[in-house]
Amino acid sequence: MKFIKNHLTFIFPMVAILLGVEFFLVFDRTTDSYESGLKEGYSMFVVANKALELQDFQGLNKHISHAEEIHKESLARQIAHGVSQTSPEEILKALPFFYNLKLDGYLDSSELENIKEDLVKSESIKKVETFGNAYSSSYRLFSFIKFILKAFFIFMGLVSFFLIVKQMEIWKYKHKERMQIMKIFGAPLMLRSGVLFRVAIVDAMIATLLTSMVFLALKYKWAQESHVDILMQKQNLLFETTDFLILLGSSLLIVIVSVSLVVFSASEKE
Amino acid sequence: MSNNIIISASNLTLSYGNTEIIKDANFSIKKGEFIFITGPSGSGKSTLLKSMYGQIQPTSGSLIVGGVELENINNRKLRELRTHLGIIFQDYKLINEWSVKKNVILPLMIAGYSIDVQDTQAERLLKHVKLTELKDRFPLQLSGGEQQRVGVARALAKNPFLILADEPTGNLDEYSSNVIWDLMENACEQLHTTVLVVTHKIPTIFSRPYRHFIIESKGVYEVH
Repeated sequence: MKFIKNHLTFIFPMVAILLGVEFFLVFDRTTDSYESGLKEGYSMFVVANKALELQDFQGLNKHISHAEEIHKESLARQIAHGVSQTSPEEILKALPFFYNLKLDGYLDSSELENIKEDLVKSESIKKVETFGNAYSSSYRLFSFIKFILKAFFIFMGLVSFFLIVKQMEIWKYKHKERMQIMKIFGAPLMLRSGVLFRVAIVDAMIATLLTSMVFLALKYKWAQESHVDILMQKQNLLFETTDFLILLGSSLLIVIVSVSLVVFSASEKE
Repeated sequence: MSNNIIISASNLTLSYGNTEIIKDANFSIKKGEFIFITGPSGSGKSTLLKSMYGQIQPTSGSLIVGGVELENINNRKLRELRTHLGIIFQDYKLINEWSVKKNVILPLMIAGYSIDVQDTQAERLLKHVKLTELKDRFPLQLSGGEQQRVGVARALAKNPFLILADEPTGNLDEYSSNVIWDLMENACEQLHTTVLVVTHKIPTIFSRPYRHFIIESKGVYEVH
């Protein structure tokens, strides 16, 4: 019982840290995907005096990644239909050029204003519509959710870090005497700390497996059965193979740093 | 220095911070001798013993143990020296999470002996200290006398050239104390191991012709 308790006191905070890391990875992937969706769905509307190419727009502002001309033919036909004496060709000639501009990222509203200012400086451009209000409210909501979740992960990481520090104190107390006795008999540092490293590495691996199992269950069971569209569509983002390696690497790094600190502080106090 | 000299101190001064504990001590101990160091509590007996296994570095003067100079000794040399020493403590200093047998083979593990050699040596030593039956128990399941016998077995595990014993019978009754004295005397007589015992008790074997040093007023003096 005591043996299990000793292991759980390290495994629990380690799982908490790894859950934080994995949530962060999943969140990052999901928000990246959501952000690219927002980016794809957003475009600026530009009215120009003459035909312009993508390079012309990029010469005005580097954030413009794509320019698509809106075909005026159907528009001219609709106008001609209402104005009987004018042919669609004449209307077509009289109409300016319309463009949808796409941007290279999800930018904040002040950056949108900067782009607008750069574009209207050109004599070829008559009008720019950024749809700033709708964009700005989505952007703010998105940024707020992102900030809250990141703050939560950092808080979770900090709490877990302090639990690990507490565990390090326990290790120091528990292993110090053994390491000191071994030192008196001439044991090198690696032999003295070998037991502690082994225990901690096994615990780190168990914590990695537990965390991976939680996310695999989320991915293959909960997400599928949730009937929530976004979860079912983004199911593949919930856990990727590389995540296991990242979790294992993180846990081993935490273990090596923590145990090394314990070992060196125990050696110094002899 | 003669090859026969195991410990040699010359103008040896030992301090804790600015407080001198031993000052200008001069003595030498030969191979195979059994030595007592006595003195009142706090006189520096344990400090002197600790300096011999490098736990405390000399403040000045020279201390040579087994041909190794202990002033400014580096960690690697110190570890090497310690693997050739047997050390016995008043509080036994056994590893409580380890079995009796594993405690006994600690010096062999450190020296990198094979499992077979460790096992054979452990069985021999446990038989020698009459603890074969208790080899799978843990130290806290043993009496004080039994724990100290484990300590003696551990000290003898690697056939050390020098055994340093710090109040080895300090916590034991007379019967257990005599068992420990016998074990250390045997090691000295049969294996020609040098044995240096720090004690404040005057043991029964005092009647025997062993050399005896006393620490008084920071000095180390031989009693004739």
